[in-house]
Amino acid sequence: MTLLRADRVTLGYGRHAVVHDVSLDITGGGVGLIGESGSGKTTLARAFLGLLSPMSGNILYGDQTLKKADLRKFRKDVQPVFQAEALDPRMRIGGSIAEALPRAARSRVPDLLEQVGLDPELAARRPHQLSGGQRQRVVIARALAVGPRLLILDEPTSALDVTVQARILDLLESLTAERLLITHNLAVVERLCRTSYVLFAGRVVESGPTSELLANPAHPYTGALRDAVPRLGGPPPEAGVRTEAVPAATGCPFRLRCPLAVPDCERAPELRDLRGRQVACHRAEDVLSA
Amino acid sequence: MIEVRDLQVRYGGRLVADVPQLDVGAGECVAIVGESGSGKSTTLLTLLGLTPDAEISGHVRVCGVDVLTASPRALREIRGARAALVMQSPQAALAPATRLGTLMSRALKLHGREKVDQAKALEAVLLDPGILRRYPHEVSGGQAQRFAIALAIALGAEVILADEPTSALDVTVQAEVAGVLRGLRAERDLALLLVSHDLALVSTIADRVLVMKDGAVVESGRAAEVLAEPSHPYTRELLEALP
Amino acid sequence: MTDVQPLRRTLPRIPDRFAAFGALLIVLIVLAALLAPWLAPYPLDEPRPLERLQPPDAAHWFGTDQVGRDVLTRILYGGRTSLLIAGAVLGVSAVFGVALGVVAGYAGGLLRDLIMRITDVFLAFPALLLSLALAVVLQPSVNTVILAIAVTWWPWYARLSASVAASIATRPYVDAARCLGVPAPLIILRHVLPNSLTPVLVQLSLDAGGVILTSAALSYLGLGAQEPTAEWGLMVQQGQTLFTTNWWVVTFPGLAILLTAFAFNVLGEGLRNALDPRRAVK
Repeated sequence: MTLLRADRVTLGYGRHAVVHDVSLDITGGGVGLIGESGSGKTTLARAFLGLLSPMSGNILYGDQTLKKADLRKFRKDVQPVFQAEALDPRMRIGGSIAEALPRAARSRVPDLLEQVGLDPELAARRPHQLSGGQRQRVVIARALAVGPRLLILDEPTSALDVTVQARILDLLESLTAERLLITHNLAVVERLCRTSYVLFAGRVVESGPTSELLANPAHPYTGALRDAVPRLGGPPPEAGVRTEAVPAATGCPFRLRCPLAVPDCERAPELRDLRGRQVACHRAEDVLSA
Repeated sequence: MIEVRDLQVRYGGRLVADVPQLDVGAGECVAIVGESGSGKSTTLLTLLGLTPDAEISGHVRVCGVDVLTASPRALREIRGARAALVMQSPQAALAPATRLGTLMSRALKLHGREKVDQAKALEAVLLDPGILRRYPHEVSGGQAQRFAIALAIALGAEVILADEPTSALDVTVQAEVAGVLRGLRAERDLALLLVSHDLALVSTIADRVLVMKDGAVVESGRAAEVLAEPSHPYTRELLEALP
Repeated sequence: MTDVQPLRRTLPRIPDRFAAFGALLIVLIVLAALLAPWLAPYPLDEPRPLERLQPPDAAHWFGTDQVGRDVLTRILYGGRTSLLIAGAVLGVSAVFGVALGVVAGYAGGLLRDLIMRITDVFLAFPALLLSLALAVVLQPSVNTVILAIAVTWWPWYARLSASVAASIATRPYVDAARCLGVPAPLIILRHVLPNSLTPVLVQLSLDAGGVILTSAALSYLGLGAQEPTAEWGLMVQQGQTLFTTNWWVVTFPGLAILLTAFAFNVLGEGLRNALDPRRAVK
């Protein structure tokens, strides 16, 4: 039984849905949620954190829907790690972390700072007096304060310099909590997540073992994402798709960008099992064999 | 097209950029790589005379003009037309209530280039001419970035200075913009100076690189060599940091 | 960003100097009002019928009024009344308006709609008209002026802080606090309120001049402070018929109103520029 999962959730603001019918299990070894801006990945993260109620479908915590679950226990089990901007600019670092602790346990602040590799003296500072990397560590320390079993990480390193990013990734890798990592950075997912979900226009287009997905993508979009990332000394990256086109409202949402689109794509593809993964593409077999 | 010798930029006595030598010829791409605070952006801005408060010493020639001694008029001439700056988020630099077409026409008129074929410039960056009817907030980040580049082409830029031109974009769009820059350089003999923190991107586009740290150039040379066999510990650290 | 930081030094610092100038002026005005008993050359209420309507001279720098009271003395004491009115009106409006606004902004949904509709009702009344009505129903007095203006003033603060709080409520640090299970009232007090105050502060200093002008207008219409209370608006009202013959009776209190309103506006504009997040220097 996984700690947290989404069962066919549709999410949105007002009547406007941005995530459609997504099912996702947060299993061991890290789960990656890959998508570009507007893919709905942050909306999904907010739903997993109980900050947004699904329009339909359920977020299941253990065997209960989030609405019926013991929220106090849930808040202890599931914590977010947002970008470094997730600190109140007017609060001292120590205060921000102490907010996560019961009054009697406030003395643990220095320990927590040390645990994420920071000088306990920093507790007296304010966020703007810290570097981006230090702020990100504080955000992690605060999440760890309640002893969570699952961390929901939303682009935890994308605003940081590469050398700083590498050290934050080391830190995240050393933590024992389960993780759902939301990012557009494939290299980060490759390192931290055994399983991945690729999101396009609010729909899961492919999911499965990360290594398998990146080595042999079955969905053209997964392939396009992979090929767009420049590799050191590698060939020039290629967009491979028409990035202009907006997601299609009917049928396969990716078809207007897809180099492989056929008339059949006007019929929406279902997620189906294919060689150890799930993929929503009529031409997945062709993509795999290409 | 760009020629820098013994450039030192100081703010209030503090040395923020120290570049002994930097040359970019036509059809060539040179990248300055570094993290925040390395002085890479300051260097780029200095080349266009955009650091009015700094104490600058050394020699900087861009398109044959001595930037450090040039008159404000001569500087405007280079900045507007011959050397174009492409920034991280061009949308912020576009007047919000003006259609892109109006913007382009005005810029062309200002530099006496009304006869330039706008559609052709847009085509070079893979944009549909229909974009001229839109307002800046109606286009995506990638489109805005390519529009900025198209504008530079239409104005007859010989040099493009790009400051993290892709880092605010989605990966597929990044690849597209990088592809456009690569293509232009080859087709139009543009000199391209790229400032970036992304070593992988740089490795796929630049001929030569300068690695900067804390204001100093710690390593420079042919991109392939520097990235394959870095001689400075910091370059190695940067390379190892790639996830 | 550190790369370009030094560029910011090239921006002119004039707005901050503006703010400082406004603040200095206000400190002087407040001091003058507070120290009125010591600064004033004459006792507050000592009509000297024999010396009525004296033009400014060495004995009476600003002249005397129609019952022979020293105009300078009354301006100094009048500052107490005017500043008291401004302080009380803005204090009441800000506390009430910000409290409602912040709750509305953070809560969103039905509660926000409800609070905002109530606010709209108050905003729909022309300020001066509502003040007039209130002042007529209640006895004209300084307290009535304060109440009347505050009733029409707080909705602006509710509106302002609701929109600021709504944007603060979407910040990641507020989400983080919610994920820690911090109760909503505590989130509002700890995170939303402190981070919403900057624009309120600016608005307060921009409004102070307006309140003083409005209270002067009410007094001028005979609906505010009553004789023998010294109040600038009242002084202008009572001196108005003498403007062509004895200009000083009305001109000096008028200038006092103008100067104070000006000082607060300068401070407000300066603060707005200095605290503008786009210009915030870390």
